[in-house]
Amino acid sequence: MRPFNYIEAKTKQQALAAVQEQEHAKYLGGGTNLVDLMKEDVERPEALIKVADLDNDTITSNAVGGLTLGAARSNAATANHPEVRKQYPLLSMAMLSAATAQIRNMATNGGNLLQRTRCPYFFETSMPCNKREPGSGCGALDGANAQHAIFGWSKSCVATHPSDMCVALAALEATVTVQTPDGSERTIDFSDFHRLPGKQPELDNTLEPGELITAIELPKPQFTQHYHYLKIRERSSYAFAILSVAAGLKVRGGVVTDVGLAMGGVAHKPWKLTAAEDYLIGKEPTTKNFEEAAQLALADARTLEHNAYKVPMGIKAIVRTLEQAYSKEA
Amino acid sequence: MNLNTSKGTGNPIDRVEGKLKVTGMAKYASEFKVKNLVYAQGINSTIAKGRITAIDTAEAEAQPGVLAVITYKNAERLAQYDKDLHPLSTTSIQPVLQSDQVHYYGEYVGLVVAETFEQAQYAARLVKYTYAQETPDIDFEASKGKAYTPTEQSDYSRGNVAEGLAEADVTLDETYVTPIEHHHPMELHAIIGSWNGGNVQAYASQQMIDNAATTIADTFQIDKKNVRVMSPYVGGGFGSKLAAKQHVILALMASKAINRPVQLTVSRNQMFTNTNLRQRNEQRIKIGAKSDGTLTALSHDTLSHTSTYEQYQEACGTVTKMLYKTPNNSVTHRLMPMNLQSPFAMRAPGEATGSFALESAMDEMAFKLNMDPIAFRIKNDTQVDPSNGKPFSSRLLNECLRLGAKEFGWENRPQKPASKSEGNWLVGYGVSAASRRAPYMKTSAKVILELKNDAVWATLQMDATDIGTGSYTILAQTVSEYLDIPVEQVDVELGDSEYPVTPGSGGSWGAASFANGARAACEQALKDLKDKAGETAATTTVALMKAAQLSTLEAEGTAEPDEEYKAHSVFSFGANFTEVWVDKDTGVFRIKRMLNVASCGKILNPKTAFGQIIGGCVMGAGMAIAERTEVEPNFGNFITRSFADYHVPVNLDMANIDVVYLPEEDKIANKMGIKGIGELGITSVAASIANAVFNATGKRMRDLPLTPEKIFVKKEEAA
Repeated sequence: MRPFNYIEAKTKQQALAAVQEQEHAKYLGGGTNLVDLMKEDVERPEALIKVADLDNDTITSNAVGGLTLGAARSNAATANHPEVRKQYPLLSMAMLSAATAQIRNMATNGGNLLQRTRCPYFFETSMPCNKREPGSGCGALDGANAQHAIFGWSKSCVATHPSDMCVALAALEATVTVQTPDGSERTIDFSDFHRLPGKQPELDNTLEPGELITAIELPKPQFTQHYHYLKIRERSSYAFAILSVAAGLKVRGGVVTDVGLAMGGVAHKPWKLTAAEDYLIGKEPTTKNFEEAAQLALADARTLEHNAYKVPMGIKAIVRTLEQAYSKEA
Repeated sequence: MNLNTSKGTGNPIDRVEGKLKVTGMAKYASEFKVKNLVYAQGINSTIAKGRITAIDTAEAEAQPGVLAVITYKNAERLAQYDKDLHPLSTTSIQPVLQSDQVHYYGEYVGLVVAETFEQAQYAARLVKYTYAQETPDIDFEASKGKAYTPTEQSDYSRGNVAEGLAEADVTLDETYVTPIEHHHPMELHAIIGSWNGGNVQAYASQQMIDNAATTIADTFQIDKKNVRVMSPYVGGGFGSKLAAKQHVILALMASKAINRPVQLTVSRNQMFTNTNLRQRNEQRIKIGAKSDGTLTALSHDTLSHTSTYEQYQEACGTVTKMLYKTPNNSVTHRLMPMNLQSPFAMRAPGEATGSFALESAMDEMAFKLNMDPIAFRIKNDTQVDPSNGKPFSSRLLNECLRLGAKEFGWENRPQKPASKSEGNWLVGYGVSAASRRAPYMKTSAKVILELKNDAVWATLQMDATDIGTGSYTILAQTVSEYLDIPVEQVDVELGDSEYPVTPGSGGSWGAASFANGARAACEQALKDLKDKAGETAATTTVALMKAAQLSTLEAEGTAEPDEEYKAHSVFSFGANFTEVWVDKDTGVFRIKRMLNVASCGKILNPKTAFGQIIGGCVMGAGMAIAERTEVEPNFGNFITRSFADYHVPVNLDMANIDVVYLPEEDKIANKMGIKGIGELGITSVAASIANAVFNATGKRMRDLPLTPEKIFVKKEEAA
């Protein structure tokens, strides 16, 4: 590992001050991703500012009748919180499918949003990767790309976002609260938080330099009865999704009145299935309608040499997730 | 009952070294306290083929704490192979940093030695290499034109396969693929090596002490008498620690250069590139059978890759020579040079992969014949090894299959594929037969008796290793049995080349060889006591010590195979049963339960023996459902480079594993009736799982591992 400065921030102000004082500084949450990447020489920060001990590790009610998830709260303590389980079971389910109990105990909510891709070209410093080293090329575009994106990729980058939590947050239409270095606060819609690679795949998200995630705001309790998170992976735990689907449904009078639907493992960001959501509103929750929605969801997929299977598998997965969500007993 | 007061073998006592391990007191190779210790970090090539044109070590050398940067330019000259394509063995020399040539991605191209581990690691990144790159051979398909017959060729045939196939009513001709896999024991390869003015001392994580000493001596061209290797605890090896690897040589080379002891630990990432691998195999099986199920022909042709500079062949076809009765049989193995590191023995080499092909093919054949796969196997049983005409010392394969069928509830197996479901899951049962050579090898041991407080205490010494399997425990039990003293009065000391020579741990010969070696030492001790005591009524060890007026006695004994052993074919046998549930839409599947029935001689300690078979089943499941190392198609590096990418099963994947041992004491195998169990557990498990997937879905999976993606895209074959 390269030498670096290490600062333990006790308050947000200290963290924001430190990030401006230090050259090439990064915030450190649980370290479950950043420290790994430093060991691999992929991330080379010259200073780490620990923000896992700040006081924003709480879960509280917010003004819109939902919950505020503190950024410093661990994934395990969030997913297992009684109010999260009760009000956002979809989020809890998705979070508990991630990684291992040990990693969830360490990983923070803020850090989860900032997880970097698992693309093997990103991890191997001798390989071309525009995300790691802008301008070096994309090794995966014509290489080993069975695990890569089918939506929204560019010739610069075909990587996917690895988070499970974020897929549920996309379906739930959360917002992200951010503290800026000048001391002000801003709110980012979840769908605008992560970005597509375009010509700048080195930027995973729309945070400005030095900005600190302080909280995730959830809207009013959603999909408490009909929800499901389906994660297709190579083993039953401690594996990233080949693809995943988060689905929440509200059904009144035999028709769908609200729906949240997003996929993971298919794009540079959690992929909200807006066309499928729009289609389902006002429709009966039948398998046939779910299949129509799934077809719409995958209609604009663009596959690479080795990942064409993700399209038919994605369709099956969406239908299955919606069926499971609908048949779920509260 | 306090199990630990039991005497002798056969009791499920706790591991005698268990407390040391769980309290961190058992020292592994890199944990020894050695004065003046420094740390080394290997540097790996970042091209797969070519040569080094320039090396800039200035920045690395300027770092605080850095003591040396060793590359081919300043490395000491070591022994060289006397021919190209040297066949690898467990005592092969391990030359390293001897030229500017790069043969594969990740090959060692340098070493940094520093006062601390962190300094060495950091400086290693600062050494700059310039390469003249060439196009590497990294594509299996494209390399097929270069296939050759290995120097130590292992082709075999009896009868005439073509004629046998012509006589058959039903035939099969299919190819089965197993991917590159890696051993990955939990304990990383490591050494603390001291050159010590030519009195070499190495704490090294090795399965075979004596062979490691040979490799060190031969590579540095020094007398083996001056090499001491110690490996008291080994955190798994799975074949990767059978031989000393290049890092052992690197550490000693560095120690010689700077005259201080050097610790070198191979990182998890380097465990992919520098401690060998299991190569990708393509195995083509042909079977002919009469409509009543009688086999008329069986052939097994294996194509594998090896490195461009060494040969290793995995004898996948061995199992096909001996498992079933058929007059016509042929087996071939071919190798292709590729720009990947050399393969080497891994987890039941030959049987684990070979049985996947053979036992999948037997299942396919049973389906074609419309026969129960158990009945088909029993129909073709043989009590004589058809490959050499020798009778099996014992063979209870049919009994394993029958008992397993009863215990597992085989009668509930869906008769037709894809005919049983539970909700969204398709349910299937699979079976396979397992066989694994049960070798027994010449082994020496020393026992030291002491009379203290009216009791005899014994210390057993041998250079055997305990690679996590329970050697300490079964040896304490053996000494306890033969000297008739409580097991707590036995101290076992292993893993030091100063002790009597054993074949080490590997190939499932450890338990049989070590225990008989210990037995021979104990028998010698009792004989010496009786000789010294003269005429006496004493029978117990204590009474004999007193009668002989001795407070201590040392005796050495050697056990080795006798004529009976050599006149027989000695194998362990087993059967594996699996139930899988496969999602009807997504390709996701779960192993719901597994039953392994084993007949493998006397069970020395049921507790450690169950652990071994269960571990074998988990490894077999890993091979079936998850493990694979993928080669990047353009650059030749491995894209699976940590445990996040290289998947082994998790608890949730495994559900319930039951193990049943058929009671057996094979006195032909050796005097104690012991046969190996270490590798039997993994053998044929992958076939059992793939056969269950076929039964559940009608999809015949011939390409491991069975990932959701592969099952999803596979078309149904069953009518």
